[in-house]
Amino acid sequence: MKMADVIQMNYMLIPVIHRFGIELGFGDKTVDQVCEENEVDLNFFLQLVNAYHDQDYFPKEELQSIPVREIIAYLKMTHASYLNNTVTEIEQKIKSLELEGSEDKKYIALIRNFFEGYKSELTEHIMREEDVVFPYVLAVDEIIKSEQITDQNKKVFESFSIEEYEEEHDDVEEKLMDLRTIMIKYVAPPANTNLYHSIIQDLFRLEEDLNYHSRIEDKVLIPKIVLMEKSIKNLF
Amino acid sequence: MPRISILIAESTCLIRKGLGSVIQKLGNVEILQPVSNKVELCDIVNRLKPDVLIANTNMLDSGCEDLKKPFIAANKMSLVLISEDKSIEGKYNADALIHYKDNQSKILEIIEEIVNQKAEKKRINKSNETLSSREQNILKHIALGLTNKEIADQLFISIHTVVTHRKNITQKLGIKSVSGLTVYAILNNLINMDEVK
Repeated sequence: MKMADVIQMNYMLIPVIHRFGIELGFGDKTVDQVCEENEVDLNFFLQLVNAYHDQDYFPKEELQSIPVREIIAYLKMTHASYLNNTVTEIEQKIKSLELEGSEDKKYIALIRNFFEGYKSELTEHIMREEDVVFPYVLAVDEIIKSEQITDQNKKVFESFSIEEYEEEHDDVEEKLMDLRTIMIKYVAPPANTNLYHSIIQDLFRLEEDLNYHSRIEDKVLIPKIVLMEKSIKNLF
Repeated sequence: MPRISILIAESTCLIRKGLGSVIQKLGNVEILQPVSNKVELCDIVNRLKPDVLIANTNMLDSGCEDLKKPFIAANKMSLVLISEDKSIEGKYNADALIHYKDNQSKILEIIEEIVNQKAEKKRINKSNETLSSREQNILKHIALGLTNKEIADQLFISIHTVVTHRKNITQKLGIKSVSGLTVYAILNNLINMDEVK
């Protein structure tokens, strides 16, 4: 299949391939060729795109072969792109709306405060993943690969379990949904309706993207780690 | 003006059809498919939730507990009874009574009054469709950052009641998070921006 056709099918994949370092303008090259050129693991790329594209997609056998490091590297890239680009852009838009407004100023300030609250919640959630969950996952991966437990890895392995993560993987999207509900249902739009509308559309897109993102975590990463945990327990 | 739905429950075909065609003369009403069998009445009322139920008293003693006072009150349904016997009204707490011997203009007058009352209430409810005053009060407390326990203590109600109210508020507004509810409360002047910590 041509890479261009994949993107035509689902434009939400544009930021995804970008996170892999793949740039647009690939002409008629196939997915295979593009991945090879960019040194992207083809299998992982396919799993990822499928999980993004199809809500019910659930990879089984393929799971074993996806390198954990690749998944983690990808998730980290996604996190960074949320915090550095998407969220910051929305914040900027809200701020410039606030600067323009006169009588609506009070309401826009409320929206800005709310969004900032959301931002810090998201940041906290991401930090927790990067500081606790990902190091744990990498430790598990290392144990499996080397087939032995170093003292340090042992400590990490015993301090956490993916089950814990599964349980606490709470809904960061709740506030985001509330914000768009408030903006759609309860606020009369300010004078600059164009900007206001574009903020709402951005919120929808961010929400959709975050849903995709959590699907990768829930359907690719977690099942894989559960399998690995089991085999570690069998090994030792 | 919102349309008012009317359900006629009457076993006599003549009265059922006759009453229907008389009421039809009022604008602003929707006459639902009438009920002739008292066994079905309860189900149909539950399903259609009419604004006004016009029923013959012999349709109501079917042992359908739901149609007794609490049910009628809970559904905010107005009850108009059709009867020969004028003393029956108190038994069912009816809003009005149509007598067999009433002429057309008398019947229309009775029904019109009920319909107008209903329409007015509906209009008020609509402008305030979202929250009851109790819910607004609870929301205010939530927005001020109180916990369920604190709200329960302040309003002298059980925690369980607070939780139920919260659930209803969230469902009505489509807002789940406390900070979202706070923004709503400020936008609707339930609380002042300075009051929020």
